[in-house]
Amino acid sequence: MVVQTVDSRAAATDRVAPPRVRALSLETVLTNLLRLAGLLAAALLAASPSAPALAQGGEVNIYSYREPGLIQPLLDTFTAETGVKTNVLYAGDGLLERVEAEGELSPVDVVLTVDVGVLVGGKDRGLTQPIATDALERVPDAFRDPQGNWTALSLRARVFYVSRDRVDATALTYEDIARPEWKGRLCTRAGDHAYNIGLIASRIALWGEDKTRQWLGAVRDNLAYPPTGGDREGPRNILAGTCDLSITNTYYMGLMLNNDAEPEQKDWAGASRIIYPTTDDGDGTQVNAAGAFIGKYAPNPDNANALIGFLLSDEAQQLYADRNYEYPVVPSVQPSELTRSWGALNPSSVSLIDIAAHRDEAAAMVDELQFNAGPQN
Amino acid sequence: MNSRVGVAITPSVMALLLAILMGLPILWLAGAAFTAAPGGGLGASMLPISLRDTGLLMLAVGALATAIGLVAAWLVAHYDFPGRAVFEWALMLPLAIPTYLAAYCFTELLDFTGPVQSLVRSVTGAGTVADYWFPQIRSFPGAVIVLSLVLYPYVYAACRAFFLMQSGTAHAAARALGATGWRAFWAVTVPMSRPALVVGATLAMMEVVNDLGAVQYFGINSLTAIIYSTWINRSNFGGAAQLAVTIVLVIAILILAERAARRAEGSVAPRDGRVADARIGLTGGRAAVAIAGCSVLLLAAFGLPAGQLLYLASRQLTVASVSMTSGPFVTTILLALAGASVTVAIGYFAAHLSRHPSRTARGAIRLAALGYAIPGTVLALGLLQPLGMADRAINSATRWAFGWTPGLILSGSMAALLYVYAIRFLAVSHSTLAEAITRRGPSMLDAGRVLGARGLNLFVRIDLPTLAPALAAAGTLVFVEIIKELPATLLLRPLGVETLATLVYAKANTALFAEAALPALAIVAIGIVPVILATRLGARRKV
Repeated sequence: MVVQTVDSRAAATDRVAPPRVRALSLETVLTNLLRLAGLLAAALLAASPSAPALAQGGEVNIYSYREPGLIQPLLDTFTAETGVKTNVLYAGDGLLERVEAEGELSPVDVVLTVDVGVLVGGKDRGLTQPIATDALERVPDAFRDPQGNWTALSLRARVFYVSRDRVDATALTYEDIARPEWKGRLCTRAGDHAYNIGLIASRIALWGEDKTRQWLGAVRDNLAYPPTGGDREGPRNILAGTCDLSITNTYYMGLMLNNDAEPEQKDWAGASRIIYPTTDDGDGTQVNAAGAFIGKYAPNPDNANALIGFLLSDEAQQLYADRNYEYPVVPSVQPSELTRSWGALNPSSVSLIDIAAHRDEAAAMVDELQFNAGPQN
Repeated sequence: MNSRVGVAITPSVMALLLAILMGLPILWLAGAAFTAAPGGGLGASMLPISLRDTGLLMLAVGALATAIGLVAAWLVAHYDFPGRAVFEWALMLPLAIPTYLAAYCFTELLDFTGPVQSLVRSVTGAGTVADYWFPQIRSFPGAVIVLSLVLYPYVYAACRAFFLMQSGTAHAAARALGATGWRAFWAVTVPMSRPALVVGATLAMMEVVNDLGAVQYFGINSLTAIIYSTWINRSNFGGAAQLAVTIVLVIAILILAERAARRAEGSVAPRDGRVADARIGLTGGRAAVAIAGCSVLLLAAFGLPAGQLLYLASRQLTVASVSMTSGPFVTTILLALAGASVTVAIGYFAAHLSRHPSRTARGAIRLAALGYAIPGTVLALGLLQPLGMADRAINSATRWAFGWTPGLILSGSMAALLYVYAIRFLAVSHSTLAEAITRRGPSMLDAGRVLGARGLNLFVRIDLPTLAPALAAAGTLVFVEIIKELPATLLLRPLGVETLATLVYAKANTALFAEAALPALAIVAIGIVPVILATRLGARRKV
């Protein structure tokens, strides 16, 4: 029946030879099913040797939201010093959901994130276990979970990149960019990206919803074009002349200035300078964190703690500062010389936990104001 | 009588089982959608905008890709001009370029800092975009053009295969009766090739719906982008599931409407092997126009992006970049071969099931093929939880029975990837094979049966050879699709497995696109080989 009951002509065939019809179809079906089963079995066999190996010592399994290029030098140093091999699965999104689905069978030891929301989310969903390394004490209270379920590893400030040619101001407040003189001159990435959600959530924590809504609506109407691209697009468009002020994280300046693989980016960075925004009331610049937590069912918890201990060591913190141009989370380690040349960071009083707590309201506000559709007035 | 009842029930049951297996992520999401709290602000505020943007993008890309694909296929199938044999397969090449790579390459080329505008500035002495006019590539029209350039091969492939399998007598008759080439094109070719056009355009439009990389890059608020950000940036699985179910409903209605419209069409005479189809020779100015048209299309759709990648890759060609690429290269090929075999086998099975008169069987197969319209991220989302649950069940069973914990044998292995590829690309293999089976008609099988062939014999000696071009075409399309597939692979791959696409993604995300150029070029290169092979195989015109 599978092959030939196609239309009336085939139905006529049925009447001629019904038993054959059945034999053919079942055989065809079975052949295909067998072939499929064989392929699946082969695939399983090919994949299965790696599964039990994960539970053995000498390894640490990492799910990373961070690009491998940024963490690989750190992990290589860790392996060289401890002999513990690192297995990394990198994806920009969805790793938390994967850990959750894997449950107690999850091979993950450490989850590395680029945003505090995922850290708090991991704890809230019960995917974490307390970090046991003493090195956690090196992290100021504001930058780690009170119960030790997650910690920041590096800090990033979300700042203003302004055109060297077309902007004279040397200091700006967050409130300034909502004023009419910035009409058609602002740019940033999508409003619902974690970095901008963090910024908006921190404004809600500081100003409350009403003032933040007014501010965000005015910022939206001052945009030069609907928000697109990543954090580097803003500086690039400042060079192009389509935008005068971009809301971008600090370390991109360092990454672009030192991008020898794509030297064009040095020009993008060269057209801008950084202003650390404050508020009219004198609150400082919004800071977000990249961090880590240990999986609740981590098969190698000792290695996981060793890794986090290493990432909080002076050596690793210095690598965060010098290679990635981020701010070390351990106060005794200095930011890179280049980072310090942009000015002094005066962090906002809003804590990471406060930011995470207002993320949902921030996302709802981005939707309500249709921030991503660009200027509306 | 008994056997006929059996015949009527079994395919329906099988089709239903297949639909459940292929529809698992969607069913899971539907469950999540109905148990979740009523939609939040996003659904209310962004849904109208995203429906409009997605709809317009689909229509515009569908129309442009169809126009390009049909004209190109018509030219190479019905006319002869210098270089035709090369263009015939070369016009398939843009299929090897993923939409996200095309978006990137064209932007690099035409953006402010790209070579074209730099040239404009150095010639005119302009400083910023305020000083001169240049079309903005990162715009809706830009997205339509870029997507159409890499998606037209779906229409081209379907139309070309159709022209090769179809009798040219109607077209020849039209010409003999005095119709000009254009008249014959509009009066005969276009109406007759409607089934192929519909297949090709539907595939292209589904690619538009599930594309994420390119629309994000162009800043278009498509439904997929909204689903994605509801899930990722709002951690709202239920809300994302609700939007995903909306997209599935929209697609389902579209497909049903399209099927209904197609059913009204008369069928076309299958190709008569005794009549050799003569291509009409073009000479002089007409040949020049044909050559120029094909060349410009090929240059724009393939030459520019591939050349860009080649340039970037050669700038960064080091031992390190080659060794970084070689591992994922092998993994990708093996994965794509296994995935294409599984998907074509299921597609063949589904194509036969969908020929069955039972409405249930046909409906179920239609549902099973819906995965193509679902963004890879959403499929992965819908699979994570059920696969994880299945793994936990398997492990508790083996622990109880043998005291053995095998670990994540489904969600942590290649099986998850093969499964998601089969779901995602079943429509590609199924529609290609179903179309070929319709076009072939039942006469060959009937003849085989009359001559005593049955069972496996009939399958091997008649079904397989007569469907060879379609099987090759389906296998190729799926193979290339898997090599290009990014979001589901990213989320479901086992720890330590890196494919070319995930490598490109990781590098491009650090804005080290120069380093991503070599693996990106490898994606394009792997994609080219089977494209050429399948076109050659199809060109044997044996059927």
